[in-house]
Amino acid sequence: MPKLRVPKIPDSVVPAPLRKPAKPGQGGNGKGQAPQDLKTSPPERETHVQRLGNQAKEAPVDILAWVDQRTGASGFLTGMLYRKVPKGTNWFYTLGSATLFAFIVQAVTGVFLAMFYTPSATQAYASISHINNDVPLGQFVHGMHKWGASVMVILVFVHMGRTFFFGAYKYPRELNWVIGVVLLILTMTMAFTGYLLPFDQRSYWASIVGININGTGPVVGPYLSDFLRAGPELGATTLARFYAIHMLLVPGAIIALIGAHLYLVMKLGTTAPPWMKMDKPKVAASVAQLDAGVEGNGNGRVNGAGRSNGVHVDGDSAT
Amino acid sequence: MNGADEAPQQRVKPDPPGYFEGESMTRRRAFTIAAQGLGGIAGAAIILPAVGFAVAPIFHRGKERWEAVGPVSDFVEDTYRQVVFTETEGIGDAGKTTAYVRKSSAELEEEPGKYVAVSNRCAHLGCPVRFVEAAGNFICPCHGGVYDFQGKRIGGPPVRPLDQFQARVKNGQVELGPRYSVTSQLDPVRARDPGEFTGGIWEYLYPPRPSTFPAP
Amino acid sequence: MKPEDKQDYLEEYEVFKKKGKPFFPYAVLKDSTMALIVVAVIIAMSLILGAEQGPKADPTSTTYVPRPEWYFFFLFEVLRVIKPPELVPIATVGIPTICMVLLLMLPFYDRGPERRPERRPIALIAGILTILAMGYLTYAGAVAGSPTQIDLKVAPQYEAGKEVVAGSGCLACHKIGENGNNGPGPELTHIASRIPRAAILRSVEIGPGIMPSFRELPPKKLNELADFLSSLN
Repeated sequence: MPKLRVPKIPDSVVPAPLRKPAKPGQGGNGKGQAPQDLKTSPPERETHVQRLGNQAKEAPVDILAWVDQRTGASGFLTGMLYRKVPKGTNWFYTLGSATLFAFIVQAVTGVFLAMFYTPSATQAYASISHINNDVPLGQFVHGMHKWGASVMVILVFVHMGRTFFFGAYKYPRELNWVIGVVLLILTMTMAFTGYLLPFDQRSYWASIVGININGTGPVVGPYLSDFLRAGPELGATTLARFYAIHMLLVPGAIIALIGAHLYLVMKLGTTAPPWMKMDKPKVAASVAQLDAGVEGNGNGRVNGAGRSNGVHVDGDSAT
Repeated sequence: MNGADEAPQQRVKPDPPGYFEGESMTRRRAFTIAAQGLGGIAGAAIILPAVGFAVAPIFHRGKERWEAVGPVSDFVEDTYRQVVFTETEGIGDAGKTTAYVRKSSAELEEEPGKYVAVSNRCAHLGCPVRFVEAAGNFICPCHGGVYDFQGKRIGGPPVRPLDQFQARVKNGQVELGPRYSVTSQLDPVRARDPGEFTGGIWEYLYPPRPSTFPAP
Repeated sequence: MKPEDKQDYLEEYEVFKKKGKPFFPYAVLKDSTMALIVVAVIIAMSLILGAEQGPKADPTSTTYVPRPEWYFFFLFEVLRVIKPPELVPIATVGIPTICMVLLLMLPFYDRGPERRPERRPIALIAGILTILAMGYLTYAGAVAGSPTQIDLKVAPQYEAGKEVVAGSGCLACHKIGENGNNGPGPELTHIASRIPRAAILRSVEIGPGIMPSFRELPPKKLNELADFLSSLN
């Protein structure tokens, strides 16, 4: 079995308490060799300047160590960053993070658009004209937000398709699929509430149709569309309502659910491609081998995170 | 299972998490209930006003408004005249709407001396319908709804005839008022949103909204 | 999934994971590359396509032809093809709700241990059909013309009739040339080669089957309409 490779982390970015102690025989600064040397030639005293220099060199690490001592972040971060992703992980597995990235683009451009946009039926159109024509880079940022929405919708669907065809929604990742579908619905809600905001013809009529679609739900539908419009007709506060939903309510929910989604991805791990299969004896053999060889492999920090899931099944299954 | 088994089990029953010396279970229970109750009240105090604030417009009906759209001589029996008037105040052009207005027609056995104002909002999902003079029909460009001269559906997916506006004559001017919907027999009912059926059992499945005006 | 299947899966997964590489930097490198591609695409689209503003919202319009953003075309097309009014709530609320529930509940009704797509024929076929259906609906929604316009070139004497046909909503159910819905009514592009003028006129007046009668049209318009339709062969 090939030895597991773990990348060597440069000491300068590892907080002092986490550094691996130097192996005996390889002195820390190359000079201090054995105790008896100290008797014959005592180490030179550090000059003031040297000490300051050394302290400056250590400063970034000290700050990290200070933060780490108070947060315990390094354990979490090393667990997250150096957790193993299964063998065979390929480009299909970047779709989720690509979607996340598209969302970040939307969030950042959205914040800057909000600085210039006025959510009022009488002024919204003019404020978009202002963004497009007068604000430096305004049309560029507006364009990124507009097309970023399309890219995000595509990525969400492709990511879902990948999960579906790879069977990645199956045990033990059912809950993450459910969260993902809710995120899909929220993304479509963002796409829908976002496009009333420019208040041009397309926005207006698409929103009218969208609100009326909600209204066709029996019994509660009519009240729901009144709620969305804040009245019996599209009125003074409808746009503000859509704006609040678009930039506060739904993004808040999306961020929270992305957090849960990623937490579960970290906890359960990403799937191996479904074509990777092993027969049972081989699995058993590998498990035994891994259990035996686990101490020898790489760096102690990673092993702890790697096996934290534990292999056990609780007896709740109904099938 | 017999009694001998049960007795030792009771003895080893573990203390609940967080147990401390001298704590009684009634005390713990009281604190549990108090913690949950107070938290719940605090939560409700935040949520309820906010939700009430958000849903209040559902129960609010605006002031009834009438607007003159032209002298009676402008309107004839056999074709519509397109007028624009303000339906929602305070949002400028975005609150305006289009109505097609004509005099009631004896030929169609309508009550004489009245004015008919048909909304341009499609009864399917609210797209803007166009009156096509050549055919005497209203046509919707979205999903292909077609209405006859009186606004009754003759084709496509619309669920009911076109909405109308209340109309009256004051000082020689035709005035348009609140919107109302009609059943397939053109009987007035309280205004419904597009896509909602009217008449019969549908009146209960799509209940009238408190924010609309009673039918004439 | 039986408990032993779950156990097997977890053990096998543990082995794959052990044999894998650390997330950072190996997977992160791919993720970063992908992030770069995503932002490059968005920037390119923004630079090339811009963010043009349409005409200002005008609720009084009677000529505007509303169309949604492309990612709602599939829903738009569903609403457009479902013609009977009784089915409107099914198209607007019913179908989307059912689809969402099916999607949400997927892991709870598809519980088999198999993950390879080629060994899950039902899931594979359902998935492919869904993608094809969404693709087709999006395409059909994108190319749907206005139902009040016929692009066909006709001789000048038939222009009046073309206007009547376009304005009477025939395209709601009939396809003429590139315009109109294909169904529930028959395509009319070559109607004159199938039935004579008198039969066309009679159909329009009677309204056979589910077709509404257009008897109400003034006789002059009926004649123009029949002239136009009987010129299509």
